[in-house]
Formats: sequence, structure tokens, C-alpha cells
Amino acid sequence: MGNRKQTIVVRIEISTLLGSNGKISPKKMDRLAMVITNLHNSGKHVLVVSSGAIALGAEKLKLHNLPDNQVDMQATAAVGQAELIRCYQRFFDDYNQIIAQVLLTSDIIDYPQRVENTRNTFNTLLDMSIIPIINENDPVSTIDIEFDDNYPLALIVADIAQADFIVIKMDLNGKYLVVPGGNHTAMVVDGETELQEKIDAFCQVLVPGDIDRDMQFPSSIGEIFFNS
Amino acid sequence: MRGVKMDYREVLKNKHRIVVKIGTSSLSYPNGRMNFHSIEKLAYVLSAVRRRGTQVILVTSGAIGVGAGRLGLTKRPQELAKKQALAAVGQAELMKIYQRFFEEYNQIVAQVLLTKDVVVIPSRNQHAKRTLIKLLEMDIIPIINENDTIATYEIEFGDNDTLSAIVAALVEADLLVMLSDIDGLYNADPRTEGSAEIIHSVLEITPELEQLASGAGSSFSTGGMITKIAAAKICLKDGIDCLITSGSDPAILFDVLAGKEVGTHFVAAKENTAYHA
Repeated sequence: MGNRKQTIVVRIEISTLLGSNGKISPKKMDRLAMVITNLHNSGKHVLVVSSGAIALGAEKLKLHNLPDNQVDMQATAAVGQAELIRCYQRFFDDYNQIIAQVLLTSDIIDYPQRVENTRNTFNTLLDMSIIPIINENDPVSTIDIEFDDNYPLALIVADIAQADFIVIKMDLNGKYLVVPGGNHTAMVVDGETELQEKIDAFCQVLVPGDIDRDMQFPSSIGEIFFNS
Repeated sequence: MRGVKMDYREVLKNKHRIVVKIGTSSLSYPNGRMNFHSIEKLAYVLSAVRRRGTQVILVTSGAIGVGAGRLGLTKRPQELAKKQALAAVGQAELMKIYQRFFEEYNQIVAQVLLTKDVVVIPSRNQHAKRTLIKLLEMDIIPIINENDTIATYEIEFGDNDTLSAIVAALVEADLLVMLSDIDGLYNADPRTEGSAEIIHSVLEITPELEQLASGAGSSFSTGGMITKIAAAKICLKDGIDCLITSGSDPAILFDVLAGKEVGTHFVAAKENTAYHA
């Protein structure tokens, strides 16, 4: 390991960033940008996996209901991803933190060359003190889109980035689910079934004892990693 | 045959679905900084074209350059991973800039990042096609770029000229306009030969023409004329008109769609055969 920095993947579900009116809450976004930047400033490599393209696209397009079929979801995501990344930029700018957009499809694991490229890109970004904001490339996805479910993607990103930890859940009321990386993320995934099995196996790691329910958002997020 | 003078440009007045490709040189100053005036004008022109009923897709370059600017780099990196990292920073920045300017004209845009497999492999490209056509039907302008971060940069599509032609074929567009730093294909190198003239209409891409594009004359374009001819070839194969012209003033698109004789028009076969018939 040497001096390798701890690498942490933080998974963000858009639902945790919405206000009561269903729109992005500036206050929550601001806190998130602060916490993530701070985690990065403390000397960690941080990658963010964020959903939200469809939700923000629906808002931009003033849709009354979220799209419920694949093609509408894909079109809405194409509009919304641009909005989502712009939103991240705006709030991270306040903390003088540069971010980058990386869009992946889950089938990337079938392309070793792309995994390699993406890993190199991640490493280069992190070395340049840039935080990658990663999402599914929904508009071109050839597999069914699951609305707001980026759990599988977070696992894939953790695998590519050789992360030490994944923050699975970080709701703003002070609860985190954290999964150590290492062997757990060293996945060799063959098709969706195996991916699902890996996810299920992951979930079983999350026995109550592993979850620090007393952790307060956001000041002590780093402690999870320092104490582990 | 020469007796009847055919105005090939007439068909350009009646296009319904167009792909516009813009190169880095048209979006930035020679010093590498963004030319906001040019981008604003592009947003205006495309929004206006869209508003009058023509569906528009924009294929844009520029992510790496914008990323370098954002990070205050004065030189573009050569190393692959660095380029890909800059593209990841710059693409987000580039979209923000487009969004801002298109919003001025109340035009919604979408971002679509492509890798070769999702547009070329027949069993998979229907998804990307469906999404793009859906966006067009929703009066949205899709803004396309290569997904440089994961693609093996410079290996997949090679360049955005090729990407734009593949996209035009995928969505069954009826016109591809490539805005670049040259105003068309010349019959000689205009820098050395004072008598060099733009070839306004090309009915067939002959070996001689390719030779012309790859010869001395080609160096007057940083993007290269060869890749543009290759893109035109893809278009002609699919019966899509293709036009190369200068992007220094995006309003030239109005002239193109008014059938004025600007740039080099690669005439698609249907008009071509109509001529011969």
C-alpha cells in the first residue's frame, strides 16, 4: 500500500438531496459539497456516484410524472444529466473544488480496455485533486434502467477505483451505511445474475453491528474512515 | 448533360433533420480560450433553426480544451490519461456553457456521450437512436460528444468528423453540416495558389478528389480535410447530403439552409440520380 491514499466511493441517491417540494435543496447540496470537499481535503481520494439525471430532467421538462418507460427515461436522463452536473459544479465551486463528470454503463466490466482507461482517468483526476462525479450513461444504455438505483454502479466504481470503502448510504439525518472495500469489492462479475448475487452478498455484510447509526451528519464523516 | 444546369443547393432549403458538427477551432480563440461570442451565436442560430421546424443535433468538440482552461493549463497534455481526465472536467464545463447560452433562447438541450459500440453495433445502436429521436420529437437539441473518459481516445471514432457522420446515418438525418476552420474544399492550396477556388458541389468522391484532400492543400485545416472527406463518404453512402464550410460565423447555417452557394456540398445520391435521369 505504501503511501497510497485511502480511496472512498460515496454513493448519493438523489432522493436524499431533495427538499419537501421535490426539488433539489440548495441547503442539502451545499452541505454535501462541503462534506465531500472536506473529506477530500483531509487527504482521502473521494469519488462520488450520484443518481439524479432522470429526476432533474423531469423537473427541467416540467413533467408532472416521472417517466415510466425506457425511452422516456433515457431522453429525460439526457436532459437531466447536464442539469445534475451543473448543479454539482455550482455547489462545489463555492468550496473551490473542481469536479469532473464520468458517465459509465454497467456493461463496462465486459470491456477490460475501458475498465483500464476509466481506472487511469480516475487516478489522474484524483492525483489532480479533482473529484469525479460518476453516473450511469442512461441515454445510451442497452440494459433496463432502474430509476434512482445506482447501487450496482457504486460497486462497479469501487471495483475499478480499488476503493477501500464505499459509503452506501448517507442520509442527511445522520445515518450511514459503510462497506469496507478490499476483498468485497474485488468482483469478477459475469452477467446480471452474478452481479445481483454480489450485491446480495454485500448486503449481508451490512449486519446492524457494521452500521454506525449514531454518526452525525456531516461533521464526523471522516471518523468512520479514521477509526476503521 | 451540361445543358441543364441543376441547382443542387435547392434541396438544402427543405431539410427536416440536420446534424451540425462544430470543431474546437470554431469554439475557441487560437490561444485556447473559449470564444463565448461564437458559442452564443451558435446557440442563437441552432435555436432559430429548431424553432422554424427543423430538427437539430449538435456534435461538439472542445471538452479537452475547456478542461485545460478550467485547470489553468497553458498547454494541452499529450498523455492519454491526462487528456481523458481533462475531457471529464471539460465536458461538464462545456455543457454548462451551452446550457447557459441555449437558455437565453429558451431552448432545452440534452447531453449524449457516445462510445462506438452503442452507435455502430446494430443490435445495440437502436437504444441510442431511439433516445436521440425521442429528444428531437420533444423539441430538444441533443448535444453529442464522444465519451472520451472511457473510450480509448483517438482509437474509437478517431475524430468528431467521423462521429458526426455516424450519428447522421444513425438518426437518418437528411443533412450533415461540418463547421470548421476552412470554408470548403479547394481545387488547389489557396495559400500558395492565388487561383485556387472552392469546389462548390461534389457529386462523387473520386480518388482524384481524395488525393486533392490529402495533398498539400489539406494542411490548411487543423482538423484535416481527409477526415471530412471520410465523413462525407459515410453520408453519401446513406443518401445524406453533407456540407463543409467555415464555422467562424455560425450564422452561415442560415445561408446553407437558404440554398446559398457557400462551402462545399457533397450531393447525396437521390439528387444525384435525379440529375442523371
